[in-house]
Amino acid sequence: MSAEPGAAPGRARPDDPAGVEGLASEFVAEWRDAAYNCYSSGHKFCREVCPVMQVTRNESWTPTAFHANVVAMEKGELELADVAEDYVNCTQCGACELRCPNTLFTGDFYRFRTRTVDLVRSMRALTVDAGLDQPSYARWNLLTDERRHEPVLGEAADGAPVGQDRVRDWADDLDLPTGGATILFVDCEAAFYRTSVPRAVAQILGLAGVEFGLMREQWCCGGPAAEMGYVDQAKRFARHNLDDWRASGVERVIVLDPHDYITFTEDYPRYFGDEFAGIEIVLAIEVLAELIRDGRLTPSVSIDRTITYHDPCRLNKRKGVWKEPREILRAIPGLIFKDVDHVTQWSYCSGAGGGLSIAKPELTAAISERRMGQAAELEVDTLVSACPWSERPLGAAGESLAIEVMDIHELLAESLGIEVGGSRGA
Amino acid sequence: MSTVLTEIDPEVAEALRAAIGDAHVIADRAARFHRARVPAPFPVHRWAEHVPGIVVLPGTTAEVAAIVVIANRFGVPVVPRSGGTGLTDGAVPLRGGILLDLKRLDEIHEIDLENRTCRVGAGVNMLKLNEVLGKHGLIYPDDPASYPCSLVGGRIGTSGWSLIGSRYGHTRDLVLSFTHVLPSGQVIQVGDGGGAKLSKSSSGYSLKQLFMGHQGTLGVATEATLKLYDKPEAELSPFWAFESYEEAYRAVGLIVRANCATFAGAVIFDPEKVAYLRRDDEAYIPQPESVRALVCAALYGNEEEVEAGGRRLMRIARDHGGTYLGDEISQGDWAARHDRYATPLHGRTRAGQVVPMGWHCEDASINYTAVPAVRKEWHEIMARLCRASEIFDDWGIFAYTNGPTGADYLVEIDVGIWEQELDDEAWQLWVNAKREFSAVAIAHGGSISACHGSCREGEVDLVPTELGGVFDVMLTIKRALDPGNIMNPGKYLLDRAYEEVE
Repeated sequence: MSAEPGAAPGRARPDDPAGVEGLASEFVAEWRDAAYNCYSSGHKFCREVCPVMQVTRNESWTPTAFHANVVAMEKGELELADVAEDYVNCTQCGACELRCPNTLFTGDFYRFRTRTVDLVRSMRALTVDAGLDQPSYARWNLLTDERRHEPVLGEAADGAPVGQDRVRDWADDLDLPTGGATILFVDCEAAFYRTSVPRAVAQILGLAGVEFGLMREQWCCGGPAAEMGYVDQAKRFARHNLDDWRASGVERVIVLDPHDYITFTEDYPRYFGDEFAGIEIVLAIEVLAELIRDGRLTPSVSIDRTITYHDPCRLNKRKGVWKEPREILRAIPGLIFKDVDHVTQWSYCSGAGGGLSIAKPELTAAISERRMGQAAELEVDTLVSACPWSERPLGAAGESLAIEVMDIHELLAESLGIEVGGSRGA
Repeated sequence: MSTVLTEIDPEVAEALRAAIGDAHVIADRAARFHRARVPAPFPVHRWAEHVPGIVVLPGTTAEVAAIVVIANRFGVPVVPRSGGTGLTDGAVPLRGGILLDLKRLDEIHEIDLENRTCRVGAGVNMLKLNEVLGKHGLIYPDDPASYPCSLVGGRIGTSGWSLIGSRYGHTRDLVLSFTHVLPSGQVIQVGDGGGAKLSKSSSGYSLKQLFMGHQGTLGVATEATLKLYDKPEAELSPFWAFESYEEAYRAVGLIVRANCATFAGAVIFDPEKVAYLRRDDEAYIPQPESVRALVCAALYGNEEEVEAGGRRLMRIARDHGGTYLGDEISQGDWAARHDRYATPLHGRTRAGQVVPMGWHCEDASINYTAVPAVRKEWHEIMARLCRASEIFDDWGIFAYTNGPTGADYLVEIDVGIWEQELDDEAWQLWVNAKREFSAVAIAHGGSISACHGSCREGEVDLVPTELGGVFDVMLTIKRALDPGNIMNPGKYLLDRAYEEVE
């Protein structure tokens, strides 16, 4: 089954102006007050921390503009078609939400938080419903729908090794069971492109004696589709995965990818409500930090590298997870760790998230170049990330600077004496 | 129903594209709407009146000059915009035209560690600049409320004011020289004399300040050489509570006059401001109701001097009725000084209903002795305004030292306006009030603005009254430098320069 954008029941078409207007009106009514809270603040403190703004300097592609558009739509000055394309210019990193004075200083009291990420997602969903979605997004999600996994290895019609029959290839020689109370969920980029990451995680967990299996039939988590506005598709994928978990009695899902972590802890509970109860979502990085703390893992192989750590946006900015990765890195002998604090890193990003690399790969590359430039100033030979999606563009940007990009799990595995295997990319 | 906007002549658009490339000439409707906004909004229902015809994002001084030449050739207005964070609408187009967005000029060209200067593009933000300078132990201490988002170019165009200006000076002191594109398109270097990195010269006319604070009416700065300081070893920012405004006012006067070389600024919060901040649970709620006014002071410098100065200020404050609020509040509130003091969520109707209100900040430059009287009269104006319409809300008054002697203060009244309900009638009430605020400032020997500029509706009407013969000189200069009236036309009543010619 393929999802043709705008073709689902109840969707409007661009040639149905009344239908589009109705959807836009509902959207504006929902976002009106949040938009005015931004519009009326006008502080724009979000601007210089925004990774897209940093490389484009284009005020139309800022959190402020994304909110002001809603006000202008309410006033009848802008229409959906005027602004639809602007919303691709966001990695959904969440820096703007943290830096907003409305969130920082008064939000708790008023139970208010600036929600630019949700606004961008909602607007993208509206553009899909109105048949105004971006061709690049439409293509990506169509292929994802056909293959059950994101086309991270390109579009080759025959033989492209992204598909249901290849989703466990990364674990071929690891003899991992299927099902069980605890499973390891592996995102598309790691399952098909940077297979060294799931291999590292699986082998470390095995070394520590953690019992886990793989899903019977894992599909893409659906998160990217949701981020790009293809909500129906995202829900179908989520339904499949939840049903698979239930069928094999899963109680605990270990997640190695920060994007999946967002999807499972924010989207799935929203989709399923009480039906999702009883499933615990845990980050591999938190599990591993705990195992080190408890003495069940002791990194002992000295690693002769000078590193810095890249705080993945979805861990640091959106989930407040920044201590555990540093705990792990500090437990690895031999490393010279030149850290940059996690608040400074609010304004750092790889540019890989939120569909930006699909619609505007040149912006992703520019953002990654900027990030690697910041690493180069520290005179490191390695940048360590904890997000497989960031590692491809960061790695490309690091080539000319002679800075290698490694995943934290790969590094930890090496220090535990594990021969990781797999691929660190094409 | 959307408004029909004035479009730019296709020939102009073509010339602009040829000059700076297609990618940096933007004509779409949304992009133009976004460049019509500044933080203190015009009435939102009249947004479309301020929308430019086309947006350009040049990447070099030469491109800026080329754009201005094109504007002259076609007689099209040019409105410079850098951060777009000003509070007197300097960056808001009044007559459409070309919106000259300077944000791509964001390069740090040079850091001269020996002479303590740096040369940067007009699109550089101070916070971001200081992240880089900090690695060298240096700081560019231009610290406005908009510090996290305003840009160097706008600081020059508005002749900005800095929270720590009592120690380091304001933008006019900190910008040593700059590259300036005149309304003709000619590019000049403006500073003290001919050297880019000098802070004092007696050679020729001193024109640097002429090309600062003109709100884009005399051209546009594209690159600036800035004065740098050692990053302070120590910062101390004590906050004291007082049981009356009068006590706080006397104490702040003595604190400023305590003759501490590390003194960087002092602020007094009046009772209405304290009440406004009590609207949430994160500011001053823990303070007893007896707290009616606050004073904070900032000292920046080396540890020995800051410590000694701090002891002296603590003693003065204590001896004059001040209660120290403790390290946590003091450090926290000073650190949050850019974020905390104006938030839409604190907006209230008379019935206490929370509504999102926009922050409008009216400022004036007032001598110390006149601050209490101005404060009283401004609140009376606000009381009348709030009685007339509940879309207005008095958020209290701050007074900040302009300099180290305490002679004069930036006095600002913060006003919440419920934009969602704003209409022509309410806007007129507001414009009238702005005129009254300005009249009070002038009547007390002050200036309409210490900080923002004074070219907005209402206040601008009194600029000729305030400046007298100087305003006539402004007209002469404007006409001489911009004979076609293409640079930000309609601002500061400068159209009169051209009426006289006719």
